Amino acid sequence: MNLDAALQTYIVESRELLLSMEDSLLLLEREPDNADAINATFRAIHTIKGSAGLFGLDDIVRFTHVVESLLDRARDREIAVDDRLTALLLECGDHIGHLVGTAAGEQPADPAALEARQAALLERLGQFSPAGVPELAQSAAPPLEREAELSRDGGGPVGNGSWHISLRFGRDVLRNGMDPASFLRYLATLGDVVSTTTLCDALPPAAEMDPESCYLGFEIELKSEASKETIEGAFEFVREDCLIRILPPNSKIEEFLQLIADLPESNERLGEILVASGAVTQAELQHALRTQQASGDGKARVGEILVDEHVVQETVVQAALDKQKQIKDKRAAESRFVRVDAAKLEELINQVGEMVIAGASATLLARRTADGALHEAMSLMGRLVEEIRDSALSLRMVEIGETFHRFQRVVRDVSRELGKEIALEISGGETELDKTVVEKITDPLTHLVRNSIDHGIEPAAVRAARGKPAGGTIRLNAYHESGSIVIEVADDGGGLDRDRILRKAIEKGIVAPTQALADQEICNLVFEPGFSTADQVTNLSGRGVGMDVVRRNIEALRGSIDLDSRPGEGTTFRIRLPLTLAIIDGFLIEVGDASLVVPLDMVVECLELAETDKRAAATRHYLNLRGDVLPFIRLRELLVLEGEPARRENVVVVQFGGQKAGLVVDQLLGEFQTVIKPLGQVFRHLRGISGSTILGSGEVALILDVPALVQQAASRESEQTASVTQSVRPGMATTAIL
Amino acid sequence: MAKTILVVDDSSSLRQVVGIALKGAGYEVLEACDGKDALGKLNGKKVHLIISDVNMPNMDGIAFVKEVKKIAEHKFVPVIMLTTESQEAKKQEGQAAGAKAWVVKPFQPAQMLTAVSKLVMP
Repeated sequence: MNLDAALQTYIVESRELLLSMEDSLLLLEREPDNADAINATFRAIHTIKGSAGLFGLDDIVRFTHVVESLLDRARDREIAVDDRLTALLLECGDHIGHLVGTAAGEQPADPAALEARQAALLERLGQFSPAGVPELAQSAAPPLEREAELSRDGGGPVGNGSWHISLRFGRDVLRNGMDPASFLRYLATLGDVVSTTTLCDALPPAAEMDPESCYLGFEIELKSEASKETIEGAFEFVREDCLIRILPPNSKIEEFLQLIADLPESNERLGEILVASGAVTQAELQHALRTQQASGDGKARVGEILVDEHVVQETVVQAALDKQKQIKDKRAAESRFVRVDAAKLEELINQVGEMVIAGASATLLARRTADGALHEAMSLMGRLVEEIRDSALSLRMVEIGETFHRFQRVVRDVSRELGKEIALEISGGETELDKTVVEKITDPLTHLVRNSIDHGIEPAAVRAARGKPAGGTIRLNAYHESGSIVIEVADDGGGLDRDRILRKAIEKGIVAPTQALADQEICNLVFEPGFSTADQVTNLSGRGVGMDVVRRNIEALRGSIDLDSRPGEGTTFRIRLPLTLAIIDGFLIEVGDASLVVPLDMVVECLELAETDKRAAATRHYLNLRGDVLPFIRLRELLVLEGEPARRENVVVVQFGGQKAGLVVDQLLGEFQTVIKPLGQVFRHLRGISGSTILGSGEVALILDVPALVQQAASRESEQTASVTQSVRPGMATTAIL
Repeated sequence: MAKTILVVDDSSSLRQVVGIALKGAGYEVLEACDGKDALGKLNGKKVHLIISDVNMPNMDGIAFVKEVKKIAEHKFVPVIMLTTESQEAKKQEGQAAGAKAWVVKPFQPAQMLTAVSKLVMP
């Protein structure tokens, strides 16, 4: 006899069963309460299903399973047997007949129709089911064996240690037909039984001994690669009557610890973690949970119970506890954040901006009255608006660290490509700046980092010759400085080669050969359009996208870039960016009838323009600020405002990037919350003005571009100094004029 | 000497497939189509294991096991019951009657062999 013959038997048998089922169903139509008929129907379906599994006829198993469940409930009187049900079951019988026919090798006339009919039948069967349309049961696949998963380090047999199995058979084991020896024999198929100690301490005196009872216990050492689950499975049939402890070998502990650490962070329960790692089996966990419940007060911990019962080592439980804590922490951290659409934040900030303006307007109106209570209320209001503004802006602040860390990969990849050994050091990662700024700074930053790797850090041989460590270092640093964020990209390379820069600049016609330039000015030439010094054009930099593009991008963010280079020691690029692009604290000033705003962070001090300076100002544009030269600009002249200067003029001393300048204005109006409204495209090329804002009165005030003004003042001063030096006879010190 | 296993099921095809698997593993196999038939087959024979379905005509598996436990020479023979996942109550009943091992239908022949080898080596 072979399997084919058995399959033929199955087909004949199924057809007979279907026929007898039909008879029973017809009988049921007449006598709906006939229990024998229901049982017979159930048995027929049950048998067809049971045998179909043996032949791997999954289609039949799945369909009959649904029918069987329905019949099971009919048998238990959960659903009434009526004409509708018997009619349906008759059709199901026909359908099973077709399925059996297919299994027999008959080609169905119309496979699609067969499927459609099955779907229709399932739908109708579902109407009887409490849970709606039944899903076709997944084929009852044998439970997955886990050995493969656990022996993944592939290092041959476990070198040291073996599983320790303690067995205490129940008294009734023999009576139940179980032979303890057979389990030990089966165990031997899973691995190597190193030793077996038979425990006879439970044996009573011979006179009292019941030959049908089992008094034996065993301590077994087993060397096996099998999982705990599999080993426990050996005792599947006696587990309920026996005391079984399976302690993993010490060599397994490492493996469990690793598995626990690698688990996905989905389980929060200790037991689940231990079971998932394979250190504890489901049955052991159930037992421990029952023990915990039995202890009543619920104080005993599952982990402690498992250790006490010698199911698992304490270290494994500890690892699982750590993992549990880690998952909880992560969950907690996740719950501390709320994801918000950036557009919503944008809207909030815009609204806060409008509120700031409206608040300023209300304050202005309040000042016109002599109502002290109103003044007080408005000042409180003003403070709250300020706080709300800061909170709203801080919502958009993100740490720059994440952006910095992305460069680890850039540095690693690029330095490998160039065969240089370069480490990236990051500091100030916790410095916060506006998210919109972060997004726009990534490209320029990438260019600077690549530039430093490519041109900054010398090849290892050159470094060795200069007595530097072979591996170069690039540092990314960020910090806050007077309302700006400063980002530094520094390398410990060779520094800028001034001679070559100058040569190249002359070659490209950027500077005239006769022009005398200060050291810093030579360095700044690298930011000029169309400048590239690399002897070799690599595919990293030097593709025409030079430092000038970087500078343009940064200036578009109202920022600036400068560099600091020491020959042989390295180069540091310093980017200054405003913290935010939306609302700033401003300092309101008045020139003639124009209101102007200077970012408050850049204001150092205010002073009155002294009579002596006023007179001198007609001929020169600097004044003596406590012994220092302070170049100044008359805003009235700069902005070509009409009208006579006020009798008493003031100087606002502003600072940017280490340079100071004075702005001569008529009146100081004080601090003012400034909502920045960008200027239209038409005014983009205006020098000295960076934006506008709306005052409480509804007037428009221009925001001064302090960096540009400082630069202008400084360059005018140096020009003047130069012209003075040239026109004045040698020996006559310029300081004498001051 | 090969161990003898009695397979009791009303499906002759199931008996055949289980029989093929068991014989392949080195066991002797006896077949019976229901409890009554099985009791007759046991008469005077030495068997080492009984595999029995629960749902059978004439005498079902539970009644059959209860009968077996009454026969002195067979009371220590282990019994594997064939149950289905929907028959938790039957399983309990079977265990109470003394059939401690079970295999869930539908099963693969290899699953049956594993269960058998835990109880009786060929």
